[in-house]
Amino acid sequence: MPQFILRRLMQLVFVLFSITFITFIVGHLAPGDPVQALMGNKRDPKLYEQLRHQYGLDRPWYEQYAGYVFGVLQGDFGKSYRYAGRPVWDLIKQGVPVSASLGLAALALSVLLGIPIGVLASVRANGVFDRTAMAVMLTLFAVPSFVIAGVLQTLQVILYQNSLPNLPTSGWGKPENWVMPVLVLAAGTMGYLARLTRSSMISVLRQDYIRTAWAKGANARRVYMVHALRNALIPIVTVLGPSVAFVVIGSFVVENVFRVPGIGFVAVQAISTRDYPVIQSVALLLALIVAVMSLITDVLYSLLDPRIRTQ
Amino acid sequence: MNLLKISTAALAASLITAACGGATPTPVTIVQTSIVKETQVVKQTQVVQQTVQVQVQVTPTPAQGTQVLRWALEGINEPSTLDPAKVGDSQIVFAAGLIFRGLVQLDAQLRIKPDGAESWTVSDDTKTYTFKLRKDLKFSDGTAVTADDVVFAITRSLDPKVGGGNGAYYLSNIKGAADFTAGKSDKLPGVSALDPQTVQITLEQPSAYFLYQLNFITGYILSKKNVTDGGDKWYEKPVGTGPFILKEWQHNQKLVLTPNPYYWAGAPNQMKEVDLVFYGGDQGSVTAYNDYQTGAVDVIGAFGQTPIPSQFLPQVKDLPDFKSAPQFFVRYIGFNNKSKPFDDVKVRQAFARGIDKTKLVKLLGDGAARSQDRILPGGIPGSELKVDGLAFDVDAARKLLAEAKFDVTQKLVLSYGTEGDNAKVVEFIVQEWKTNLGLNVTAEPLELQTFSQKLTDTYNDPTKGLQMYYSVWGADYPDAQNWLSQQLRTDVGNNNGHYSNADFDKLVDKADVEVKDVTARLKAYNQAEQIGVTEAGWLPLFSPNSNAMVKTYVTGLVFTGQGIIIPDWSAVRAQ
Amino acid sequence: MTFTILRIFRSRVVLISALFLAFLLLTALFGPLLYTVDPAMGDVDNLRSFPTLAHPLGTDDIGRDTLARLMMGLRVSLAVAVVVEFFNVVVGAGLGVLAGYFGGWIDVIVARLADMLFAFPGLLLAILISAIFGSTAVEFAGGAGRLLLVSFSLALVGWPLMARYTRGQTLSLKERLFVESTRALGASDRHILWRHILPNLAGLIIVSATLDVATVIVSEATLGLLGLSAQPPQTSLGKMIVEAFNYMTLNWTQVLFPGLVLALLVLTLSFVGDGLQEYVERG
Repeated sequence: MPQFILRRLMQLVFVLFSITFITFIVGHLAPGDPVQALMGNKRDPKLYEQLRHQYGLDRPWYEQYAGYVFGVLQGDFGKSYRYAGRPVWDLIKQGVPVSASLGLAALALSVLLGIPIGVLASVRANGVFDRTAMAVMLTLFAVPSFVIAGVLQTLQVILYQNSLPNLPTSGWGKPENWVMPVLVLAAGTMGYLARLTRSSMISVLRQDYIRTAWAKGANARRVYMVHALRNALIPIVTVLGPSVAFVVIGSFVVENVFRVPGIGFVAVQAISTRDYPVIQSVALLLALIVAVMSLITDVLYSLLDPRIRTQ
Repeated sequence: MNLLKISTAALAASLITAACGGATPTPVTIVQTSIVKETQVVKQTQVVQQTVQVQVQVTPTPAQGTQVLRWALEGINEPSTLDPAKVGDSQIVFAAGLIFRGLVQLDAQLRIKPDGAESWTVSDDTKTYTFKLRKDLKFSDGTAVTADDVVFAITRSLDPKVGGGNGAYYLSNIKGAADFTAGKSDKLPGVSALDPQTVQITLEQPSAYFLYQLNFITGYILSKKNVTDGGDKWYEKPVGTGPFILKEWQHNQKLVLTPNPYYWAGAPNQMKEVDLVFYGGDQGSVTAYNDYQTGAVDVIGAFGQTPIPSQFLPQVKDLPDFKSAPQFFVRYIGFNNKSKPFDDVKVRQAFARGIDKTKLVKLLGDGAARSQDRILPGGIPGSELKVDGLAFDVDAARKLLAEAKFDVTQKLVLSYGTEGDNAKVVEFIVQEWKTNLGLNVTAEPLELQTFSQKLTDTYNDPTKGLQMYYSVWGADYPDAQNWLSQQLRTDVGNNNGHYSNADFDKLVDKADVEVKDVTARLKAYNQAEQIGVTEAGWLPLFSPNSNAMVKTYVTGLVFTGQGIIIPDWSAVRAQ
Repeated sequence: MTFTILRIFRSRVVLISALFLAFLLLTALFGPLLYTVDPAMGDVDNLRSFPTLAHPLGTDDIGRDTLARLMMGLRVSLAVAVVVEFFNVVVGAGLGVLAGYFGGWIDVIVARLADMLFAFPGLLLAILISAIFGSTAVEFAGGAGRLLLVSFSLALVGWPLMARYTRGQTLSLKERLFVESTRALGASDRHILWRHILPNLAGLIIVSATLDVATVIVSEATLGLLGLSAQPPQTSLGKMIVEAFNYMTLNWTQVLFPGLVLALLVLTLSFVGDGLQEYVERG
């Protein structure tokens, strides 16, 4: 086991290297002159050269890359173009806890609802519950999150106009602000997990050892929860990593539609103002989160299925 | 000046402060009187001084109010600064204008009235202004305001080391400003403190609109101590002479303001706080509209390119909480006058006559805009004098094209910045030209920053610049100079299309320095405008209405063509 | 391969899905020839109209005909998908096969490159690239340049998966007896690749590409939402939906039509993909 984790940690190092390398290269090739951007409207050749030197832009690219990685390791993500001179981290840091809590809540909701729905559907496959639930889950998965968000917002306006209780259509800070963003963010992943759980359960339930369990006279709950679900969970755990990625991307859309001040919000704002250092850093940060999450997933996976470790 | 060329947003920016003050549903006529009676206004203020002194409050009373006013700032997600020398976006100019105040302000009729200064005198040559500060005028931290603070603030706005762009534009008429901003001199001789209570400002040339320029945020009073002790981010704990202080800056969310106990006209203590909520991005105004519909904000529509989404106008225009007024804004198409085919006046005229603006206004929605055939929007002094525009006339346009031997199949490009309703309007115009005149014009959407960059390129080198561009101009102050001299005079900073006409230049140059004979001044501007319009120096399209919605329980806000303004904060009531 | 592939249509869902897909494809290709309303033409007397005789699916915020625009949007969305899948098949499958067949340094390079790109959550890299190079692309090739950039960035994050699939399959095919025996008979690498490996991989490649199309279409819509895809006067399904949301309380049909087409496109593609996959796996 420690060997397996060690191997995965080494892979993580490679992944992190890739992420910094790609974001660096993309940022390096970005159009526009970062020094002029920092200087704003001023034209001063002497100051220009001085700044270029100060930011190390007169050095060869590999030295700049080393500097970039070194900076990132120390939490220095560079400086914003739009908010001239303000460190990127300064702009992002307030968003991190917001996005993290929103993302975790959405992930928890999708797991806590998606998997039970999938299990229930598999118990009576092709029954009424199965069919309705799966149709809903499929729709949630297929319809883009911004469509769901728009429909929910419009619904709130209609509720308010008819003097019925409603949720706030945007904003952050109060508990009721959480409901809609979390729901929308969870919807796609939940649909996906429910469908996957169902098909995984159905194939497990066909296995011999389940039949044996039935034959031995085990009660239904024990068969489903202990024998079937435990094995059915294995493929589900593997998709949790990608699900994190899914939620991370979803936050771009959801945070903007609902004006949630997380990093997705900052990122989209940076996209519209072409604030490359911020876009670059957000991409780096999110890729890091996804990479670490998929490492955790893999470790979990190997705990559930010992065969993986020896592979 | 370059800064002002930048983006439509930055242009809109300046408007607000010019609007700080003002009232009545028809500010139009009233603005005129203020300009026409420029010299008398000075005398009036001297009379005002005695009454005003009585109002000064010395003892601060702590705020105990319960009311919260929630105000949507559409079009912005997060201010980059609150530094008066640097702010540019109209929303932030408004926000900072609640914290900082200047020597003068506008009253409910958009006339200049005293603020930090209790009175002032103007010399006979109309070039020297001497301001007397209010006795006991205090900053929000309780320290006394001195003339040094005023000199410091104005000098700072022009200081190239500080790096704001607006000061160089609004305060350029101050003696020595040009050399100082260019870094050629480290002194600004035009501004000085005669004693702790007296500030003197000397101008390069007489100007009928200097006090309006001084009323822009770059002329507001700063506490020298606050700025120098506060470091790079001093503006996160700003100290000013305005009615409010900044309590909390929730990044990417809102600014929370509370009453300033030291405000000279009396702290608005009925208020607990004013929340200025950011609604940025493409969907910002729709989100704000939804939030208003669900009661989460009290005021929407004061800012942004399309403050109340035009599609909702038919639904709301008869409601009691809907407010509308003409705005000092004109949307236009600029031509590159220095390159083919628009160096030919007939081609420009034909393009101007080929658009049915009544249809365009219809497209924008009921009550969203009025079509515009001239440069000055209704309400700017001088707009009451008649100008003959180039009306929609397909036959005339076709004839002009034939005379110019214009090849209709040639490919032309109309560029615009992607923002608000722009795509909608430009796509429509391209279609109009195609159907009416058979022209082959393509619309070119550009990101706002790219668009501004290209406009600057066009200004610097017309041969490499844009052919045509869809743009906007908004009043920095209600004066014809701001529209004619600042837009179409040969080589002036905002004349991106390089329109040039010697007669036009002569007329506006004469009018710009005329202070005493207002009738002659406006007549000269009118003649110049007629030249600019006839030669299609730029092609005016429409003037958008300023539309807003204010919950009926909110009182004390006054609606004008320059947006919502608050002449007296003690009269404001919210929920 | 024979007509046994038709077996997949024994499933009713797959059959209906395939028919619907064919219908959408034909509409995108030939619809504008039959329904000749100009998708850029605004009818100011009929803004945001509900379906009428003059405008069978109603009009948008500028009075443009929604049916005409829907066909245009469908074309754009499908064109992006086709470019992406072309790239995926040529580059992804190509490199995957080469890496699997020859092994050695080619394998190492391809694997490392793929791993590197895998490090990113797919769409994130696409967003990064489309945002940073958007204006450059427009400078070079106008509106089409933007779409090409979007296609390229989606392909860039898509090919490693295809490469990984095909590499694995190639490895196992290579070891199979018939390849070994062909080689023993003196066949060239080229012959083996074209005659034996590729034909056996075709099914897998088609399945992966089909399943991926749905993802690409939704990704394009998301990029469109962020203002990074089609620019006016062009449109795409995602852009139509986003724009129509602004006046949904006034006319819900304008969100419904493009939304329905998008959702159905995604669903039918995944049904057909699943059907194909089952066929390929079971033979």
